Amino acid sequence: MSESIYIFSHGTLKRKQNTLFFETQDGTQRYLPIEGVRDLHLFGEVTLNKEVLEFLSRQSVLLYFYNHYGYYVGGFYPREHYNSGCLVLKQAEHYLKEEKRVFIARQFVRGAIQNAQKVLEYYSRRNSAVDDAIVQMESLLRNVADQKTVEELMALEGNMREVYYQSFDAILENQDFQMEKRTKRPPRNRLNALISFGNSLLYTAILSEIYQTHLDPRIGFLHATNFRRFSLNLDVAEIFKPIIVERVIFALINKHTLSAKDFSEYLGGLYLGEKGRKIFIEKFEEKMKSTVCYKKIGREVSYRRLIRLELYKLEKHLLGEEEYEPLVSEW
Amino acid sequence: MYVVMVYDVEEKRVGKILKIGRKYLTWVQNSVLEGELTEAQFERLKSELKRCMNEEKDSFIFYIFRTTKYSERQMLGVQKGQQGHFI
Repeated sequence: MSESIYIFSHGTLKRKQNTLFFETQDGTQRYLPIEGVRDLHLFGEVTLNKEVLEFLSRQSVLLYFYNHYGYYVGGFYPREHYNSGCLVLKQAEHYLKEEKRVFIARQFVRGAIQNAQKVLEYYSRRNSAVDDAIVQMESLLRNVADQKTVEELMALEGNMREVYYQSFDAILENQDFQMEKRTKRPPRNRLNALISFGNSLLYTAILSEIYQTHLDPRIGFLHATNFRRFSLNLDVAEIFKPIIVERVIFALINKHTLSAKDFSEYLGGLYLGEKGRKIFIEKFEEKMKSTVCYKKIGREVSYRRLIRLELYKLEKHLLGEEEYEPLVSEW
Repeated sequence: MYVVMVYDVEEKRVGKILKIGRKYLTWVQNSVLEGELTEAQFERLKSELKRCMNEEKDSFIFYIFRTTKYSERQMLGVQKGQQGHFI
């Protein structure tokens, strides 16, 4: 039953009494039971030493750093504890052979479109004017099979996002949260700030799950593998963004849990303040822990578990046991 | 499962027991720790304690709840330890 721990305070993180210990600047002390920690997210100014990193590595705990504006800036990915030369080779093979790579990339895009469609259908039943967008999604989905290269698939995915983001205004109907258009670095309005923040949380959550499998997070299929960044988590995130991040955002805005005053402006961009971040994370964690019925194994599983199962499906595909089919929400 | 661990051990072992307990559970009061564990973690905790305790003199009680939904936690006075995933 491990948890993600989010540190907003400034202070020092130490290894003490064989577990984690955090002391804030104003002297509040807190022990964190190491067995119950899956990953640590540091938002505040935290001092730590190599001893902590060694300890985290031994306990397979991941560490993520975010900057002042809540952007993911990097992390500590401990030495792999699940090593499989065989799977790394297979993963590289599927990346290098064009038709194999396109197949997987296509499945990710297909999953992304279908899940976005499911979200739109949900809001259509609640009388939001999104029927046009659903029709456009249909035609995009039909086009997936015709795309021959990864670049074309990326472009199609971009088109899908555009259609999808355009329908946000109809779903939200809130003056304070208007989409206009997607802007990043910096996000120019509140809705964009929420999407950026939500996506970074999802990317790290998926990275933590990848760490528990034999997959190598550096080899992605839809997103090109380059010299520094993890990319497999970005691929898998495409499938889960609509059913996790965007659903959380809609719920927060429609129920007025977040309001305009939770944001602040800096250098032309808008960012969530600390209180807003806490509200968002709380809702996000709640979503990740909530369960749905997964037909294939006929059991209730949490969203976090769904991500892991998706990775296992990918492993099976790479090993040639079962063709990969993306998850499409049925609820 | 949610576990509340209460212990009464000889003074010279109190520190050692607390150190083991803190790896798995959150300290809430002197000799009381609680938290969410898996079956496997609970077994590991018990075996670590067994290695350190004196079977003739020390005593442990574990209260186990499948979920905390049907139980209530009331407090009076000072709150000593905190929980939650925000710091």
